[in-house]
Amino acid sequence: MVMSTPPVEALAANQSAARGRVSKSPFQLALGRFMRHRMAVASVLVLALIVLVSLCAPWLTHWDPSRQDLNSVSLPPSAAHWLGTDANGIDYFARDVYGGRIDLLIGFTDTLLVMAISIVLGGLAGYYGGWVDAVIMRVCDFMFNFPFILLIIVLESIINTSSVWLLIAVIGFTAWPSTTRMIRSLFLSLRESEFVLAARTSGAGAWRIIFRHLLPASLGPIVVNATLQMANLIGAEAALAVIGFGVKSTTPSWGNVLNSSLDYFTLSTEPWAWVPPALLITVTILCINFIGDGLRDAFDPAFDK
Amino acid sequence: MAGYVVRRLFGMIPMLFAITVFVFFMMHMAPGNAIEAMINPRIKDIAALKHQLEVQNGLNLPLPVQYWRWLVNVLHGNFGWSFGQHEPVIELLGPAMYNTLILAVLAEAFILLLGIPIGIWQARRPYSKLDYTVSTVSFVLFSVPFFVFAVFLIYFFAIRWPVFPAQNATGTGPLAGTLLDHVWHALLPAISIALTAHTVYSRYTRGAMLDVARQDYVRTARAKGIREPVIYRKHVFRNARIPLVTQLGFDLGGLLGGAVITEGLFSYQGMGYVTITAVSQRDYPVIMATTLIFAVCVLLGNLVADILNAVVDPRIRYQ
Repeated sequence: MVMSTPPVEALAANQSAARGRVSKSPFQLALGRFMRHRMAVASVLVLALIVLVSLCAPWLTHWDPSRQDLNSVSLPPSAAHWLGTDANGIDYFARDVYGGRIDLLIGFTDTLLVMAISIVLGGLAGYYGGWVDAVIMRVCDFMFNFPFILLIIVLESIINTSSVWLLIAVIGFTAWPSTTRMIRSLFLSLRESEFVLAARTSGAGAWRIIFRHLLPASLGPIVVNATLQMANLIGAEAALAVIGFGVKSTTPSWGNVLNSSLDYFTLSTEPWAWVPPALLITVTILCINFIGDGLRDAFDPAFDK
Repeated sequence: MAGYVVRRLFGMIPMLFAITVFVFFMMHMAPGNAIEAMINPRIKDIAALKHQLEVQNGLNLPLPVQYWRWLVNVLHGNFGWSFGQHEPVIELLGPAMYNTLILAVLAEAFILLLGIPIGIWQARRPYSKLDYTVSTVSFVLFSVPFFVFAVFLIYFFAIRWPVFPAQNATGTGPLAGTLLDHVWHALLPAISIALTAHTVYSRYTRGAMLDVARQDYVRTARAKGIREPVIYRKHVFRNARIPLVTQLGFDLGGLLGGAVITEGLFSYQGMGYVTITAVSQRDYPVIMATTLIFAVCVLLGNLVADILNAVVDPRIRYQ
């Protein structure tokens, strides 16, 4: 009795230690994996800073990012205008700071829109298969054979977008096919698994199976894809603005600032005009991509070493 | 194989039909047309002139009839007359396609020459410090939008040290410069595309090489005493290039249709540039032609990907 106590205690201690490890929730484990990705953590901080700066724009600068002042055009940086002014006398710092609002708004809203379309269409295609799948996939092929940017430009010229929301709609309704395909293939493989069979035998309907069983089971890849999609969409919006097909040129956005400084004079003599927006776009996309990479690790249980 | 290719080519027809119908009807649903964009609003008696021009160009007919006329003309090799440039569309697009072809080939060459060697180099020393460093650099390059590269390239190599022309690729007319001159103008845009796009290939190459390197036949080759470089060249890379070839087909299709943004930024007079100009001038015949050509390029690119797949992978046979 006395002899056997130490091993039992050791066993108990061992067990509680084991339980201490096991009792971490899946979320905590995922968070731990994410925190180990140093670049992703740093990116969260940098991105949070960029978001905060764009949200707090009115408190950071008293200049109006769209009001022209022809008495002070093309000024170099000074105490009053930190990054100088453009050819219309608009403060560059204000344009950069406010510009983030448009880029982030478009990136975020379009990601939501694309994910919503993709989850419904990809979910239906993957769950039902058969002719539903065939029809949705043909539409995807159809969209793929358009050049993404060209399609947006043609659509824009057709509906004459000048509002941000129309641009969001145009980008959103052209960007969904790749994500739809990914979700379809995820669902196609998952729908053969036992838990779906169990749900079906207990009488769950299609929508319930798609949204309550298949969707949570494939949340990881979907979230990672959404993050990368957001980086893409911000890049696409800026690219459109750079060649003059983005939001109205008076609306401050990073792409617009870059576009308005793409002449020989500005490029060669006013680096403060075009370097900040170029860097802001790049850093934002880079941060989002790093976060996506971190999320990929976080959602991958095999990544635990 | 020949039968398969012919069947695939015929299979493209419904897709091309759908795409052209879509673009045609969308374009004409928009308010305003090319005539309005073209004539001076201060001309006396503008409505009569507008009506006369519309009748002349058949723009007053019902849309299905207009589409039918366009289709019949295209099947006869006639893409119509550009309202914006006042010349036959085919003469406008010929030189533009030539320019885009040069840019596409150059860009793809840079992409492959950068991406594949980097991927192979990484796969030879996987999970080492150098491998991780290169992977991180690739990740960063992948995240930089190509237009940002384009702007910085223009600044450094066309303005600061004016080595390359920044803009105005040699005109598209018959008086355009030599091939070398075209290539010279395409260099900077091609580099700006390749700087981001090559990372896709280095990542694919590294991944595919590492997958193949685990195979038994590689171990067998090593056990037989074959030298490492030969193993990697003849056993690993030959099998690792299969996924790359698929990507190559997609890339070519996309690039041949015109790198719209890049061409716009560099005023490079290829398909993308022509399309942007046509869109702002509501030049329907040109937009229709470029959309059609783009779709054909993408579909042919997919077909080329499948054919190349069969070439590098003897297990794939098309009946």
